[in-house]
Amino acid sequence: MKAITANRLLDGDVVFWKSGQWVERLNDAQLFDENQAEDVDAAVATGKGQPTVVVDVYPIDLTPSEGHWAPVSYRERIRALGPTNEPTHGKQAEGGEAIEALRHAAGAARSTGRVDLIRRK
Amino acid sequence: MYQYDVIDREFLVDRSNEFRGQVSRRLAGELTEDQFKPLRLMNGLYLQLHAYMLRIAVPYGSLNPTQVRRLAEIARDYDKGYGHFTTRQNIQFNWIKLKDAPDILDKLAEVNLHAIQTSGNCIRNTTSDPYAGATSEEVDDPRVWSEVIRQWSTLHPEFSFLPRKFKIAITASAKDRTAAKVHDIGLLMRQGRDGQLGFEVIVGGGQGRTPYVGPTIKQFLPTDRLLSYLEAILRVYNRYGRRDNIYKARIKILVAALGAEEFAKQVEEEWEKIDAERADLPAGELARIRDSFATTPFETLPARSEAFELAKAKDSAFARFVRNNVRAHKQPGYAIVEISLKATEQTPGDATAEQMEVVADLAERYGFDDVRVTHAQNLVLPHIKLDDLPTVFAALQANALATANIDLISDIIACPGLDYCALANARAIPIAQDIARQFADPDRAEEVGELKIKISGCINACGHHHVAHIGILGVDKKGEEFYQLSLGGSGAEDASIGKILGPALPADKVATAVDQLVAAYLDVRTDGERFLDTYRRVGLEPFKEAVYVQAD
Amino acid sequence: MSKLIELANGQARWAEDAFVNVTDEDAIPDAGDVILSLARFEAEGDALLSSNSRRVGVRIESDQDIEVLAYDLPRIAVVALAFPKYRDGRAYTSARLLRERFKYEGQIRAVGDVLQEQAGFMVRCGFDAFEPNDGATPDAWTKAASRFRHVYQRAADDRVVAFEERAS
Repeated sequence: MKAITANRLLDGDVVFWKSGQWVERLNDAQLFDENQAEDVDAAVATGKGQPTVVVDVYPIDLTPSEGHWAPVSYRERIRALGPTNEPTHGKQAEGGEAIEALRHAAGAARSTGRVDLIRRK
Repeated sequence: MYQYDVIDREFLVDRSNEFRGQVSRRLAGELTEDQFKPLRLMNGLYLQLHAYMLRIAVPYGSLNPTQVRRLAEIARDYDKGYGHFTTRQNIQFNWIKLKDAPDILDKLAEVNLHAIQTSGNCIRNTTSDPYAGATSEEVDDPRVWSEVIRQWSTLHPEFSFLPRKFKIAITASAKDRTAAKVHDIGLLMRQGRDGQLGFEVIVGGGQGRTPYVGPTIKQFLPTDRLLSYLEAILRVYNRYGRRDNIYKARIKILVAALGAEEFAKQVEEEWEKIDAERADLPAGELARIRDSFATTPFETLPARSEAFELAKAKDSAFARFVRNNVRAHKQPGYAIVEISLKATEQTPGDATAEQMEVVADLAERYGFDDVRVTHAQNLVLPHIKLDDLPTVFAALQANALATANIDLISDIIACPGLDYCALANARAIPIAQDIARQFADPDRAEEVGELKIKISGCINACGHHHVAHIGILGVDKKGEEFYQLSLGGSGAEDASIGKILGPALPADKVATAVDQLVAAYLDVRTDGERFLDTYRRVGLEPFKEAVYVQAD
Repeated sequence: MSKLIELANGQARWAEDAFVNVTDEDAIPDAGDVILSLARFEAEGDALLSSNSRRVGVRIESDQDIEVLAYDLPRIAVVALAFPKYRDGRAYTSARLLRERFKYEGQIRAVGDVLQEQAGFMVRCGFDAFEPNDGATPDAWTKAASRFRHVYQRAADDRVVAFEERAS
């Protein structure tokens, strides 16, 4: 599953494509499944054709989390939520179910230390 | 402090008007993002993960209370009530909107602040010793020369589109508090045999993907030839620096490719062709700039202050603060006071608007209106009377500004990292906080002694990890945050690049690893040895074992 | 003929470009002013110049050193300095050297990715003609080049530097 993200030109805010509009919450974003690759390309192209509205338009991969969708990439999670050192800053400050689902998303970049780097003497 | 005159002020107004025009053209679609990007970068405006980031120049780390208060205002009115001090002595705001940037630049210009050339492929903020004018160690006040370079490099028409960014640092003390040797140009002020002042010129130092301690290109450059020699260096770089690959475009690559000797020769040849009279600064202008840094009106005081001694004896927290954060001043009865922005659980280098105002007030009441920023992301009040120190300490303490950890293990340099920065691979702030928490006990931190930990969230090395006693580099390993440790780097006069310790560690193992390194150090250190000294004596192996080998 | 802006006495205006840019593959026209690549000029420049009946210009790419022209400069009417991308700042050095070191008095023309936002830097480095790539008019060019009342360093132009203003 994919979504499309960009930064709004005027304020740099993280936004997501939704049917020709740009919304601020990943939870409101339009989702594209693996059969909609052409739609993804079309939307990205449209976005790139709006240089006075958004910059850096690109698709992101999503993974399911608690009934919602979360970015696979940790970087995109931080973009969708806000900085991890300050929970009252960024979109995460709203709280709510969708935000919690994002915060609890498993997988990428929650390092479990499973890589065995310790040699036993 | 340098006093802006009408010319300097009009310049800032013109610059801010120019940027306002450029933003309008961008919003109207008359400029593409590709055409606009260097223009906004040359006014310090980055597009980061959550918003625009504005990097405001703090020339050679020097601020007055009016300026600090204006920064606090901007933090409140245009950001989220705080700012972040950087490893180049600048200040950054993380939550800026493009549409507000022209107004912000106007407000900065009103107090003689700007964001000129804090990014972009041009000459950046020239950094210098935060103790300038206060330390007895210096052969001259490096702020004078920093200001000379600042003006000369501002909107330099020939050097505004270099192959890559260009950073100059200048120090005038034997102890280097500027990391000069890992700059594109490091200027080390020296006194020649006949007492004449000059610079040892280092070119091609740097960090990032390919760290280098820069070679000396010229042993002694008389100070009155500074600008023509800089012009020669920049011209050789502008012409022959690589432009085909941004990872190979810094001057350090050119110096390494040609070899220091050949590079020096090319600079010398270019320098000989430059008309010195047109290029070097007239003596009259140098005198004018020097005058504005004229002696601070210190009082004549005894070296010993009874109030100070009493407070030390009575208050162990104050005594600890003095031990770690207070440095000797050239003037008897005064002290240099470092303000740590590394309290436990705080984001390293951040200060709230309220904290900024406290510092402004203290500088105004007790400190000759003088505030400095260090490249370790801390602040300095360079001229405080010992008599006033207990009062200043109390004010700092009341505002979470009195953490007594300067140069200790919890005085960590950390870049904003993946929490804020579009370039990052991993987060730096939580790692810093983990380690600081581990060593939050001030007795333990003092027992460990001087230990400089520096954390970068990516190879661009804004956290200066290459020149850290323990350097930590965040890397992305298959989508997960891992951290590569290195040991034995130094950004001081004994500059060295750190050596990689071993395979990168997952985030939750880093603080433990640091603990193990410290334990290994404490185990074998001899009297008076800092961590860095012990490492240099015993090598990497004992430390490698401490982290990567476990006894059953 | 491409659109050319010329600077004279601090004023920018449209100019008729008498020069034809001759590519390396084309034949050189029998008559008329021409701009040749450096390689072509080194091969055929002498012959053209000795005919005395036409003006000759040379186009310098951003990775070419202008020193090679030193001997011929008095006879070269135009040096066209190329900006392959506006971010490639090598032409600024070439222009300054032409004016200040080699005392070149002919036309220094900015060609390629030439944008009005860099007008100020170009004028200060000694450019006096421009083929804008962004639809800039002479009026826009003049405005862009005169944004700053003061400058801090000497360059190829005759602007009074800040420290000279202060001393007077």
